Amino acid sequence: MSLLAVSNLTKRYRRGGKTIAAVDDVSFHVDPGETLALAGPSGSGKSTIARLVLRLIEPDDGRIEFESDDFLALRRAALRARRARLQMVFQDPLAAFNPRATVARVLDDPLRIHGIASRAERPRRIAALLERVGLTADLAPRAIHEISGGQRQRVAIARAIATKPSLIVLDEAVSALDVSVRGEILELLLDLQRQEKIAYLFISHDLGVIRSIAHRVILLDAGRVAENGDARTVIDAPQSAIGKALVAAAPRLNRAGP
Amino acid sequence: MSALRRFLRTPEAVAGAILLAVLIAMALSASLLFPGDPQAIAGPALLPPFQDWSLPLGTDRLGRDVLAELFHGARTSLAVGLAAAAAALVVGAVVGTLAGFAGGLVDEVLMRITDAFQTVPSFLLALAFVSVVGPSLGVVAIALGTWTGPARVARAEVLSIRERDYVAGARVIGMHPLAIAFREVLPNALPPVLAMSSVIVAAAILTEAALSFLGLGDPNRVTWGGMISEGRAVLRTAPFLSIVPGIALVLTVLGVYLAGEGIVETTAVRRGLS
Amino acid sequence: MTALATIRDLTVTYRRDGSEVTALKGVNLDIVAGERLAIIGESGSGKSTLALAVAGLLPASARIEGHIDWFMPPTLGAKAPPSVLPDISPSRGEIGSSTVGSSPTASVIGESGDEGAISPLEGEMSGRTEGGAVERQPFHRSGVPLHGRDIGFVFQDPSASLDPVMTIGKQIAEVARTHLGLTWSQSYARAKSLLERVRLPDPDSALRAFPHQLSGGQKQRVAIAAAIAAGPKVLIADEATSALDTIVQAEIVALIRRLVTEDGMTLLFISHDIALAAELAERVAVFRHGQLVELGMTAQIVGAPAQPYTRALLNAHIGLDTRPLLDRAGLHA
Ligand SMILES: Nc1ncnc2c1ncn2[C@@H]1O[C@H](COP(=O)(O)OP(=O)(O)OP(=O)(O)O)[C@@H](O)[C@H]1O
Ligand SMILES: [Mg+2]
Repeated sequence: MSLLAVSNLTKRYRRGGKTIAAVDDVSFHVDPGETLALAGPSGSGKSTIARLVLRLIEPDDGRIEFESDDFLALRRAALRARRARLQMVFQDPLAAFNPRATVARVLDDPLRIHGIASRAERPRRIAALLERVGLTADLAPRAIHEISGGQRQRVAIARAIATKPSLIVLDEAVSALDVSVRGEILELLLDLQRQEKIAYLFISHDLGVIRSIAHRVILLDAGRVAENGDARTVIDAPQSAIGKALVAAAPRLNRAGP
Repeated sequence: MSALRRFLRTPEAVAGAILLAVLIAMALSASLLFPGDPQAIAGPALLPPFQDWSLPLGTDRLGRDVLAELFHGARTSLAVGLAAAAAALVVGAVVGTLAGFAGGLVDEVLMRITDAFQTVPSFLLALAFVSVVGPSLGVVAIALGTWTGPARVARAEVLSIRERDYVAGARVIGMHPLAIAFREVLPNALPPVLAMSSVIVAAAILTEAALSFLGLGDPNRVTWGGMISEGRAVLRTAPFLSIVPGIALVLTVLGVYLAGEGIVETTAVRRGLS
Repeated sequence: MTALATIRDLTVTYRRDGSEVTALKGVNLDIVAGERLAIIGESGSGKSTLALAVAGLLPASARIEGHIDWFMPPTLGAKAPPSVLPDISPSRGEIGSSTVGSSPTASVIGESGDEGAISPLEGEMSGRTEGGAVERQPFHRSGVPLHGRDIGFVFQDPSASLDPVMTIGKQIAEVARTHLGLTWSQSYARAKSLLERVRLPDPDSALRAFPHQLSGGQKQRVAIAAAIAAGPKVLIADEATSALDTIVQAEIVALIRRLVTEDGMTLLFISHDIALAAELAERVAVFRHGQLVELGMTAQIVGAPAQPYTRALLNAHIGLDTRPLLDRAGLHA
């Protein structure tokens, strides 16, 4: 039984009198504890799929089944309650938080909203969450804009795991990070996956990163699935035109020496 | 700290702040310096200014102390002006936030209501309201005509903030839409709305004076508008009765405006730098 | 090997709300005429500050110490440059220059036979005996390269550098007109040929288009066309491809490489991506915390880095042949 099953998902936008299908009849599934990557050129519909899966926007057509329920049928309070199981980490951790927020408040919100811990218990839970993502509890009172980009992305991950989700959508979550920080964040994500059996829908344009951490990959082109399969099989020998172009464009480091 | 220093470096802002400080000092000290009823008879009628040093600005037609009236009038102007402006800002911010955040039909309805209020000149609106409900609700009457500006600005700001990632983030963690609108979005939409407050306070003070001038102010309180109106009957013989509160009114509005602009300027500079 | 510019003891400090941030600390670096030099580093390493300093585009609030000395052949046929340099008074550090003709010694940089690689050790770099005479030369403002005419600059965000309410054609033509003294019709003709050179589809209609009508990659092509419109000797690309997807990024990198080769321009390619930089550049300078950590030929930097930080950057790169983290974590079923 898959955790997330998306079938025939379609989302159209009208722009300048023309209708374009940002997502066009896309189907895929994510199993518990696995990483499915979405890759494709800019405008291929990756972020639109993420927003549809999270019910931040509504599809024009298609079905989304999450944890065996018709996810698109959930309304209001029922939808808000179920959101605990389906979380997201954004590309720019600074834009992803209220500019006035502190670390503590960012982590307090999900715990409070989903009644996970009593008011008295929450500071301890926040400290535990911070430690879980490799930060120290004394970061809690700091303002979000005062901490470094890497720390911020860890806080974003702590917020995402606060409600014990089964699936986290990561939209270019490591693309804006320095390479040294990126490696640490990827390790953290893998560690969480191993410990808590969290599944990831991992959106990235970086095939190297996808090949490194994803189990399966879907290559998108103009809103349609161009190719899908085992991440390494697809990236090592792409069959589709867009797959070949993406692989050819990836910068290569020739470390053979002078 | 440095914002204060920048503020103090702008001469207009400092002038405005001084004017405003004098006005506030007058309002606060009115009942200390002039205890008792400022509308009581204090001396002979129509005493010109600078004649009797116990009544430095002279007396009006009924022999009331003009200086005492001026101090107590400062209190009314400030209280009514601030209360009306605050009410306008709160109502405007709330309506604008709801409209911008909810979008769709809610937005449509709220903005049509805003349009309706905006097409009627705000003074006429206040006038109509006071003549129906009576002068005791002057604050509401003034706010009625001025909340539309803040509402439009708040809505425009909310429309842009609504699309930001952090609002999507708040939805993803399951926050209630009203909590998102008022806890996450509104506080960040406030700066441009608050930037309008100097103009709104100044306008509210003027409207209050105009209502009082027309005899629609609170009859139990001294107001500058009422004083000007009183003096009108003897404009030829005792022009000072209209000129003194008139000057007070002009200086007050100028002070509020300059100080407000100074604050906006300095905060804008700070935001521009970061 | 001819030095186009020598950067000596360059320290740049930004002041903001009373506090000071040193973005560059005592940087010594030579830019060789005609080379493709990559400046790489992570966020906050000072690489963009260096780019701005070289282009003379640092904000007036920045304090500049040290020198950048230029050895540029005088530009012929150009209008006298209006002063658009940041306010750099000699007491705050100076940016001097001298033309090649006036100072033959100036072109000799580094020990002979030294492959062009300047020793990465700071102590040796600051032992600058050769250029000493030049640095003490009086301040020649006319020889200082002019942004736009002598130096083309391409920013990360093309929308920010293009005027949203001016047609593409006019923006490019204006650069050509200002710096080359052409008439408007000559400038438009040049703009059109530039749009052809950057391979923008349908240059005729693109001339009349506004920036918002183009994709991110197309906008960046336009920005590059504007940057080279006056035929600059130096092209600086500051994270010029970072906002683009990999396919477009590869196209833009190929475009930059072609233009630089065809026109014999010197390229300063600023990037956080060591692999991308290595594909394009002949030499790589690694920056960290405002300091030059290592400088060398690309093959040496990538194949035999001398500094642990450079090695760490290389190891952090996740390429298509890197052993997957999944294997190491034992998560691959
Ligand atoms: N709100 C919107 N209104 C109109 N068109 C939209 C909207 N959101 C997305 N689109 C269009 O849908 C298509 C897919 O966009 P999407 O953001 O999903 O791409 P992406 O794969 O995430 O690209 P990137 O790699 O640049 O993030 C694009 O053509 C985009 O212009
Ligand atoms: Mg996207």
